[in-house]
Amino acid sequence: MATQVVRQSAVAGGVLVLGLLLATGAITIPSAAGYAGVGPNFLPWVVAVGLVLCGGFLLWEARSGGFRQMDDLDGAKQGHWPGFVWVSAGILANAALITTIGFIFSCALCFVLAVRGFTSAEGRLDLSLRAWVTDTLIGMAIAAPVFWMFTQALAINLPGLTSTGWL
Amino acid sequence: MDVWNNLLQGFITAGTPINLLWALVGCTIGTAVGVLPGIGPATAVAMLLPITLKVEATASMIFFAGIYYGAMYGGSTTSILLNTPGEAGSMVTALEGNKMAKHGRAGAALATAAIGSFVAGTIATLGVTFLAPLIATHAVKLGPPEYFLLMVLAFCTVSAVLGQSTLRGLTALGIGLAMGLVGIDQITAQARYTGGVPELMDGLEVVLVAVGLFAVAEALYAVLYQGKVQETQNTMSRVQMTRAEWRRSWPAWLRATAIGFPFGCIPAGGSEIPTFISYATEKKISKHPDEFGTVGAIEGVAGPEAANNAAITATLIPLLTLGIPTSNTTAILLGAFQNYGIQPGPQLFDTNGALVWALIASLYIGNVMLLILNLPMIGLWVKLLKIPKPPLYAGILIFATVGVYGMRQSAFDLVLLYAIGLLGVVMRRYSFPTAPVVVGMILGPLAEAQMRNALSIGEGKWSVFIERPMSLSLLLVVLAVLVLPRVMAVMQRRRG
Repeated sequence: MATQVVRQSAVAGGVLVLGLLLATGAITIPSAAGYAGVGPNFLPWVVAVGLVLCGGFLLWEARSGGFRQMDDLDGAKQGHWPGFVWVSAGILANAALITTIGFIFSCALCFVLAVRGFTSAEGRLDLSLRAWVTDTLIGMAIAAPVFWMFTQALAINLPGLTSTGWL
Repeated sequence: MDVWNNLLQGFITAGTPINLLWALVGCTIGTAVGVLPGIGPATAVAMLLPITLKVEATASMIFFAGIYYGAMYGGSTTSILLNTPGEAGSMVTALEGNKMAKHGRAGAALATAAIGSFVAGTIATLGVTFLAPLIATHAVKLGPPEYFLLMVLAFCTVSAVLGQSTLRGLTALGIGLAMGLVGIDQITAQARYTGGVPELMDGLEVVLVAVGLFAVAEALYAVLYQGKVQETQNTMSRVQMTRAEWRRSWPAWLRATAIGFPFGCIPAGGSEIPTFISYATEKKISKHPDEFGTVGAIEGVAGPEAANNAAITATLIPLLTLGIPTSNTTAILLGAFQNYGIQPGPQLFDTNGALVWALIASLYIGNVMLLILNLPMIGLWVKLLKIPKPPLYAGILIFATVGVYGMRQSAFDLVLLYAIGLLGVVMRRYSFPTAPVVVGMILGPLAEAQMRNALSIGEGKWSVFIERPMSLSLLLVVLAVLVLPRVMAVMQRRRG
């Protein structure tokens, strides 16, 4: 499969790039060897070189018949991208809004969006107002006790809409 | 005897109502995450790491141990009743467990799994009780060169020996080590790979990486590739065993404990290997070989399940006495210790004796609790399997947020969480193992410090690693671990 070669090459390329980035960073780390003869830049170089080598080998494997010793593909051949977008939107919206609208609402929003994603992956996406409201309530019913357990029982700070620790 | 005194003290600490409550809550949460697909003990412990900010060390270690343990009990329920195994360690249980359940013997399979886990867990805890202090007294003699090589051994087994491809294992290890590099160097206080971002000065949080790699990646993977997977559930039957089934289970439990325990002690990572060995042994010596793979043989459930628990319990030995984690969950437990400024190692029994013994005592208590939670109350857990996937995974995302945000109060971390989740999806899709990432990230900085200390001792000469007899033998073990499997594979190819 041609696409498989491209995809695996991309993964290998990613490893290679990560290794090169680490190497670029390692240049700027002073060696300050002291007694040991190896300083704080030693391990960065080892890891960088290691990853470049791994990336190179992976690239070679990808171009010569694909990664070796692979399991059978786990799950569907094609990704269900609309569902992925819903869930991603949920997580990122949560990251963007948690400090302004508070933990409970932000997590409920994340929950609602993620549920949309998973139901669409199962082929039964429901965009009716009723479903949105029910899922919001379920999301809040999960998020609120968690929030209270952390803020009230364990006294760990989580952002709220108010500073009461209840909402 | 000293051990008895210490253990008694441990029971007194672990037996206070508040600590018993923590153990019970831990065991309950553990069983639940074991039963629920999509979330395992490593994720659960990682998500709950923020409690280390407020809860006292002994209580939270008892709590985490309960989760670690409970998940093993719960995992068997899922692998017997559903056709999709949860944890890697219970994959083997599913082989025979599923067959038994399909033939109306789900109850017997669940019973032998739970009781077997209890028997193996208790025997293994006895092993920990007596062996761990002994190993600790000897481990005191180990210097930085030996520690460094022990850690290298852990790296090798986790990345190169387990899993299918050494190359992908090493790549995963490299990614983990790279993550561990971010932050301030322990020895010279030099900032590395922080890019001037103050949040990165303290390094990447274990919670962040573990939750991203397991929980978020799991959710994203499920929505992308597993939407159409239909799970079927086997019917329950009464959870009890006949006399004949007892007679067949007993020896299997004991043999499996003997197989699982040593595997947990050595840095050979996880419980996949011992469960497979136990399964193969039972299949070979069984008086009912015709039942294997057809109607389901009870030994095939009893053995692997007991081996799993014995190995899991024994992984506490390298963790507590050497500070070396050999699995995802123990790596995160090490992170929990570090949050308290405690570095597990041979001195742990002296410096934090009360904590360690309370932890060990809580293992005995936890096993009893779990037996009760999993036999009479099994019906409760089976209901959990009925939760539909969308709210389950969406709910996991809420818990992921709590864990990550609660640790550092930073919305930046939530974006990072998503990025690590994406990394996890790619790794899973292309069969990269994840354990090396977590182990590499947590153990990497420790190994680096040990290596540099070792070289300081050797005045900068690398020969320090071969001049000391202990470190030379460890070096040979590392080489053997790397070379032997390959030699054996070549020999087999020639023969076959």
